[in-house]
Amino acid sequence: MVNLTIDDKQVTVPKDATIYDAAKAAGIRIPILCHDKKLHPFGGCRMCLVEVEQMKGRQIPACTTPVTEGMIVRTSTPDIIQARKMVLELLLLKHPIDCPVCDAAGDCDLQNLTYEYKVNANRFTDEKFQHKIDYENPLIERDMNRCIHCGKCARICDEIVSYGAYSFLNRGLEAKIGTEFDGPLNCEFCGSCVSVCPVGALLSRPFKFKARWWALSKTKTVCSYCGTGCQLTLGIKDGKVLTTIYDENQGFHNGQLCTRGRWGYQFVNSDKRLTTPLIRKNGKLVQASWEEALSAVKERLFSAKTAGGESAACLVTPRLTNEELFVLKKLFNVALGSQNIDHSAGYAHNALSAGALESLGYAASPSTIADIQKTNLLLVVKSDAYETHPVLGFEINLGVKRKGVDLRVVSDKRGKLSRLPDATTYVHKPGSEVLLFNAMARVIIGENLVDAGASSISGLAELKNSLQGYAPEKVAEACGMSADEIIVLARDYAKAEKALIMLPLGLGYPGHGKDLAQALINLALLTGKIGKEGCGVLIMGEKNNSQGAVDMGVYPAKGGKDAVAILDGCAAGTVKTLYVVGENPVVSYPNRKAVEAALDKVEFLIVQDLFLTETAEKAHVVLPACSFAEKDGTFTSVGKVIQRVNRAIAPVGLSRSDFEILNALYAACANTQPYADVAAVFAEISENVPAYKGISYAGLGENGVIWPAGGTPRFVPAEGGAVQGESGKYALLTGSALNHCGTLSRFGEGPMYVCPAGYAELSYTDASALKVKNDDLLTLKSASGEVRLKAKVSARMPQGVIFAPYHFGEESVNTLTTGAPVTWVNVSK
Amino acid sequence: MIMPLLQGLKITFSHMFKKTITLQYPHERPNIPPGFRGLHALNVSHDKAKCVACYLCPTVCPAKCITVEAGEDANHDKYAAKYEIDMLRCIFCGYCVEACPVDAIRMTDTFELANMKRADFVFTKETLLEKK
Ligand code: SF4
Ligand code: SF4
Ligand code: SF4
Ligand code: SF4
Ligand code: SF4
Ligand code: FES
Repeated sequence: MVNLTIDDKQVTVPKDATIYDAAKAAGIRIPILCHDKKLHPFGGCRMCLVEVEQMKGRQIPACTTPVTEGMIVRTSTPDIIQARKMVLELLLLKHPIDCPVCDAAGDCDLQNLTYEYKVNANRFTDEKFQHKIDYENPLIERDMNRCIHCGKCARICDEIVSYGAYSFLNRGLEAKIGTEFDGPLNCEFCGSCVSVCPVGALLSRPFKFKARWWALSKTKTVCSYCGTGCQLTLGIKDGKVLTTIYDENQGFHNGQLCTRGRWGYQFVNSDKRLTTPLIRKNGKLVQASWEEALSAVKERLFSAKTAGGESAACLVTPRLTNEELFVLKKLFNVALGSQNIDHSAGYAHNALSAGALESLGYAASPSTIADIQKTNLLLVVKSDAYETHPVLGFEINLGVKRKGVDLRVVSDKRGKLSRLPDATTYVHKPGSEVLLFNAMARVIIGENLVDAGASSISGLAELKNSLQGYAPEKVAEACGMSADEIIVLARDYAKAEKALIMLPLGLGYPGHGKDLAQALINLALLTGKIGKEGCGVLIMGEKNNSQGAVDMGVYPAKGGKDAVAILDGCAAGTVKTLYVVGENPVVSYPNRKAVEAALDKVEFLIVQDLFLTETAEKAHVVLPACSFAEKDGTFTSVGKVIQRVNRAIAPVGLSRSDFEILNALYAACANTQPYADVAAVFAEISENVPAYKGISYAGLGENGVIWPAGGTPRFVPAEGGAVQGESGKYALLTGSALNHCGTLSRFGEGPMYVCPAGYAELSYTDASALKVKNDDLLTLKSASGEVRLKAKVSARMPQGVIFAPYHFGEESVNTLTTGAPVTWVNVSK
Repeated sequence: MIMPLLQGLKITFSHMFKKTITLQYPHERPNIPPGFRGLHALNVSHDKAKCVACYLCPTVCPAKCITVEAGEDANHDKYAAKYEIDMLRCIFCGYCVEACPVDAIRMTDTFELANMKRADFVFTKETLLEKK
């Protein structure tokens, strides 16, 4: 610790603090323009000048100068104020000062400081900048005339996002921020640069001219896309969500968002939202009143109840809040007497609900998000972890670049993570993950790298036995890696003091199920890497409340049907009433033809959704539900964080929150009183779900609570076989595109500007063999169907492997897939 | 007793010889002094409303009677796609004129604002545009 005096105040701060940090700790505000707490010190703007007595009163920047013992600092002498005024005058010299038409006004550091320092006139004169303004980009408007050269955009894009879209072009007066060769901006569109730009040089185009900052009301809530659980501030005017607002003090991610969270909010007030219930009459869906729609639903549910409940089934999306899922489960299990309830096609939660549950004693990850930056070695399963959970990708970037984390990516294709400094990517053959991790376990046992504590965990002998056939030399061929690589990876993993494994789940990843999770947990248990800081396995649920859906037990128990069995039941006629809440199986579950046939067959289909999705079009009754912005409740995200979701606007049209609908149905079917409110359900959850014991709704606070995990681990052998290739065919891998999450993001304009349709990504070698270029149409044909997708040629794909995102309804890839980890397809032009 | 009466009469008579201040409105028109705050007008320059939809007047307006909606024109410039003042709520304080950074709005000497329907008191951009 270092002691110093700032403006006559005694301050004690850590020795790596700067004068700026020390002043902040003492409650003294030093004005800044180019400094950002998330970025390395830069010292470019000279707004933060202070005087240090020991330096003979020289003016030095507070944001880059480290504190020293006994320093005496003055932050606002007349000389300093004079100097700061001059800085502002010079900044304003070539600045357009078009605040009346600049969207930053009201939230502009330059404007605020100019006002604060009363810079009313300029001693100097010069021509204004005449840079061309980029109006073409659909998401980010770049007006470099307003740029003050703080470099924050370029620095955040490099340091945190690791994309590197911008840098300074030219020198001196000509200097400006630009993209490579000053071309159009074509990046990840995470919007980080827009959020840190202190002026109006980088602006959100979808929000352009929509409202003034001071006219927006703000609501803090949680992003409703992926399982990362980023906190979000919504900007609302006239009952509409108009934008997302950056708040550098929000959440573990300091306000950073990914492209979906930042630009995908438009689905909330989309004019495609369902605003009234619909009922099928004479084969057509027509508008109906809530009374009519609910009584039709109740009638069906009552008759299912009388018949014993078995004929009713439910497929629900893990986008609902915990409270809604809890009431829905009660509606089925208690009120109707049906155990047929499942989510995420069954396989996308198996890693948790079956794998972790059996191996660890609880259905969740043993690790938390904070472990990413605390570990020494990070083993990421699939480079897609970046696309599925982009803000966790930022955590990985920071871990690698700032904390020196040794990154190993084990994947069937390369990806953005592979390009991080010193990252090692092991590209294996599609579908061979379990084989590979079992081989690693075998090496660890064979080389006696097993942790002493592992012998007290039951099942070690069986595990050893089961691994006999997985010698690296034997499986190397099937994995497409050399035995040496497997051995070295196993050794490095075992010997690392702290090591964390990250496993993304999702509807696009049918192979990421129970076996893979267990193979990974076995590795961690063998090497004693569970239950310690910076260690463990982070199993990343796909959707905003995937972990919550598992916590609430929204999967079949006591002989109930799982998602596949439910759809089979619909086709066979044993399931007569299917209640689909928020899921869109027609697009997102494997085997579109079979799903459609099942939904066409079922006697009565109720769909509750925000939009008339491909699934809702088949319904007999459609109930319009609310988005996350219209709800109160809780989501549980990756790493078991329970966070509050807060209502920002009133329900759109006549839509009702899933809670309201389900609460009414539950009360009617169970013949009891409805719950008073969401908090009452949460109270019941904390009584009934052991993990949530002692946690109260009010006690969640702004940052949420991590529920404590505890259980008895054991080794469960994981079965993994080699995936047999089919000659002449390509291995089709499905997954997530960076701009999308599930099928919801299609209704947000932002993601659709950048990624409006599906594509088939293939290697240069394959592309030249097939004689295709970017955007040529390819025909992909599997045993179950055929689609035509635009080709996207990229350097990251191995030969013979094709990647296609699963989010899109037209030419949907689930026409080809049947739920196997790899689908073999014929490809032609 | 008589004195107060006479004093009263004196005042009455003295007024008979002074200039009348009652205006025979509407036959006589008032002489409106400069700085009078009547109905607003939107100033025009280069055949376009000068207003750039900065939202300062709706922000400053204490009666909250101004509605502005910004739009983006073909040159990507900001303009008021909608500009409305609800004259039933306006208190003629003139703050909007003072706030305007581009001298786009002023107050005219039009004070005869009576009308038959409430809706007719909402002045739209077209009706507010300065008449040439
Ligand atoms: S960047 Fe700030 S100072 Fe410059 S025009 Fe915009 S609001 Fe005004
Ligand atoms: S949007 Fe994100 S990726 Fe694109 S330039 Fe800005 S910071 Fe970089
Ligand atoms: S564009 Fe904004 S963030 Fe980037 S250097 Fe200019 S002022 Fe700074
Ligand atoms: S989609 Fe996921 S990573 Fe992106 S902002 Fe939302 S929660 Fe965060
Ligand atoms: S203050 Fe002036 S420029 Fe701004 S909205 Fe009002 S009239 Fe238009
Ligand atoms: S904030 Fe210190 S130099 Fe810019």
